[in-house]
Amino acid sequence: MPIHDQSYRRYGGQRSSLGQSWMVIARAGIMNMLRKRAFMGLLLFAWLPFVVRAVQIYVASNYPQTATFLAPDAKMFRDFLEQQDFFIFVMTIYVGAGLIANDRRANALQIYLSKPLLRSEYIAGKAAVLFTFLMLVTWLPAILLLFLQVMFKGSFEFLRANLFLFPAITIGALLQALLATFTMLALSSLSKSSRYVGILYAGVVFFTAAIYGAMYAITGSTSLSWLSLGSNLAQVVDVIFRQTPRYTTPWQVSLIVVLGLIALSISVLERRVRGVEIVT
Amino acid sequence: MNHPTPARPLPPAPSFVASSLRIMDLSISEMLWSRRTVFMLLIVSAPVLIALFVRLLVGLGAPLFEETRNGVTTVRMTGPAIFGMMIWIFYLRFTVPVLGVFYGTSLIADEVEDKTITYLFTRPIAKGAVLVGKYLAYLVCTVFVVLPSVMLVYLLIVPMQGSLGGSFLDLLKDLSLLALGLAVYGAVFAFIGAKFKRPLLIGLIFIFGWEQAALAFPGYLKYYTVAYYLQALVPHAMPNDSTLSMIQGIFRQTPGMATSLLGLFVIWAIFLSVAAWVVERREYVLEQ
Amino acid sequence: MSTTATPIVSAEKVSKWYGQVIGLNDVSVAVPPGITGLLGPNGAGKSTFMKLITGQLAPNKGSIKVLGEPIWRNPHLYYQIGFCPEQDAFYERMTGLEWVTALVRLNGLGEKEANEAAIRALTVVDLMEAANKKIGAYSKGMRQRVKLAQSIVHDPQLLILDEPLAGMDPIARRKTIRMIREWARNGKSIIVSSHILHEIESMTANILLINNGRILAEGDVHAIRDLIDEHPHTVYVRADNPRGLARDFIDRTDVRSMRFEEGAVVVETGKPDAFYTRVTELAASGEYGTIEEVTSPDDNLQAVFQYLVK
Repeated sequence: MPIHDQSYRRYGGQRSSLGQSWMVIARAGIMNMLRKRAFMGLLLFAWLPFVVRAVQIYVASNYPQTATFLAPDAKMFRDFLEQQDFFIFVMTIYVGAGLIANDRRANALQIYLSKPLLRSEYIAGKAAVLFTFLMLVTWLPAILLLFLQVMFKGSFEFLRANLFLFPAITIGALLQALLATFTMLALSSLSKSSRYVGILYAGVVFFTAAIYGAMYAITGSTSLSWLSLGSNLAQVVDVIFRQTPRYTTPWQVSLIVVLGLIALSISVLERRVRGVEIVT
Repeated sequence: MNHPTPARPLPPAPSFVASSLRIMDLSISEMLWSRRTVFMLLIVSAPVLIALFVRLLVGLGAPLFEETRNGVTTVRMTGPAIFGMMIWIFYLRFTVPVLGVFYGTSLIADEVEDKTITYLFTRPIAKGAVLVGKYLAYLVCTVFVVLPSVMLVYLLIVPMQGSLGGSFLDLLKDLSLLALGLAVYGAVFAFIGAKFKRPLLIGLIFIFGWEQAALAFPGYLKYYTVAYYLQALVPHAMPNDSTLSMIQGIFRQTPGMATSLLGLFVIWAIFLSVAAWVVERREYVLEQ
Repeated sequence: MSTTATPIVSAEKVSKWYGQVIGLNDVSVAVPPGITGLLGPNGAGKSTFMKLITGQLAPNKGSIKVLGEPIWRNPHLYYQIGFCPEQDAFYERMTGLEWVTALVRLNGLGEKEANEAAIRALTVVDLMEAANKKIGAYSKGMRQRVKLAQSIVHDPQLLILDEPLAGMDPIARRKTIRMIREWARNGKSIIVSSHILHEIESMTANILLINNGRILAEGDVHAIRDLIDEHPHTVYVRADNPRGLARDFIDRTDVRSMRFEEGAVVVETGKPDAFYTRVTELAASGEYGTIEEVTSPDDNLQAVFQYLVK
């Protein structure tokens, strides 16, 4: 009969290779959120606009007399993504505010980074948690609507005519989710209080909108829309969906601002997510 | 029962108001020197910077206030009108509710998070007085940061195509209504902070979700917002700077001053008392 | 525990749970005046008990009285209670003097009186030198002492101290223990919690043992020891001839086990009194040479606790 050593032993099994540990963090974070009933409620609530749009597509497909005002087009899909902005905002605060801040508060960052885990993997894991949920309320329902259109109509005609919608939905949702994810993660790395992070995020979103609102009111021109976080995104997504841009700011400028903000957030994360912190 | 007697006669119990004032004393400096104040300064300095910027542009000869059509130059905008818009866009729709939600939801949560609440809850004062005292500290802090910012904007903007004297009464009205807004929103969010687990999210949904939506519908929904009563007191025209504000403008009703003041007072009194009542009965389990 | 004195704290069938986790389970206890040590490992329910008797939490079941009155939502009682919490939390930007002054003002003292009381309290805890420094700059030991100062500043009748010695260096510990005894001599009642047994032992013999949310034992440590005599008792006997002694002990029915150490035999007995009598006889007769030392590691609280939680 073999006698096993009961004391501490090093793990002798197969280890996942370096660079994949982010999935552990992502999975743990996602499962943690899914266990919360309030969050599940929010997730369901965020799908309500999908139900409304699905009914619209159904009616337009089956009752030709309504097709003139209910028929789906690229604008409908663009509007759908815009309507999801509210849920993106709420979900970003709910899921994202504590992602790094809570670890900093519990001094867990040092523990994470003392494992065979790169800083980039830690950030990627945390980003994946929020990004997944944001795509779940933007990209997934929008793609499903496209699929439903084909199903309800029983024809590929619309899809063939609007084939660009698939990449448009994907890129539009990606931009929305990436901007929210990285902005929120950067803010979350700046504080130990998730409440403070939440208000900072809301501040950034509404404060930039208020500045633009004031400048618009004063100058009567929309050329300063690049001052507002939301306006930049709206401008770029309009172009992606082949709609007329709503502001006079060139869409390239808005895209640069959006990408610049993501780059700035990554740079903040690079500086803030470190194992050693000097406690004063 | 023969209990040990105190070594010396007990001092008279401080009244609820006296307790609240002492808590306010204790909290003001902590609140003023917190990181939160940096955030508040950032917010209130933005309109001042914009005012400076506009002043600079006009000084450099930019035709911000004039409009030329068919060779005829007319005055498109005046200083007092811009000031009115800034009151609406920056202070009423943004600064006042955001500061209310930020500070109001944190009144007790901060102490619980920092685990300092124990020191206050084991003193011979009502727990409700702790909340009211901290609420008063919030009010003093925010009023003394927000109102100077408004005055600076007024002094920078109004003299352009307008006169300081002519709009002075409006300034007084603005200052009063902003202080009133801070008081009422603070009370509402003090209650939300005392009662709910995720007060910040609920607060943000209230101001940027519920209030905005309710004001955009006809009917009675708008009666259940703070903004409805507060906006009725604003002495400036409401700007149509977005689709939402245009819709709100369509369904806008303006109750009389007495109705608005009464409405605000009722909201303030109910929410602050209920918040104190909740704190009085709630157990706060500190994180280990 | 002597229950003749009027209890300063009494709990009647108190239970407290946090969601599905039970903090205290059907606890009935009466704490007499004087110093009482609340002992138990981490997570035993000490902090829950402390929070209940300081009115920070309300029991889910049962009732708690402090100084004869219910404590929950009865702020007037805090005139007579001083509480030093476990957590290391402060208004870091305030100086020690400002902080203690501000807190005692909540007890109804005017500005001048409050300042004088704070100076007195800071002097007692030996912190006057640092009174005007910001608390954020205090060492761990100083932070503990300023916490103690705020608990005594209003001269309360009952002091409730949650892990007051945590983070103190040995000298500060000794001083604080002396201070606590001094307060007790001056007529204050003190309930002090710790999970370090010798700390409590050095303050009082009057203890409350708590584990898994239940009171395991209460009263004088020696009386508790008597109660657990049916448990095996370990006796260490150092002698010239430990193996000879062992041969004698092995025939005794009360001896459960034996082992040898360097020049000594360690015996586990079910009847310590009878065993001690026999050892005394053997020492007197010199049958197995000189018996140099008879000690029992079970005389300290550690052993009492281990017996009780087995």
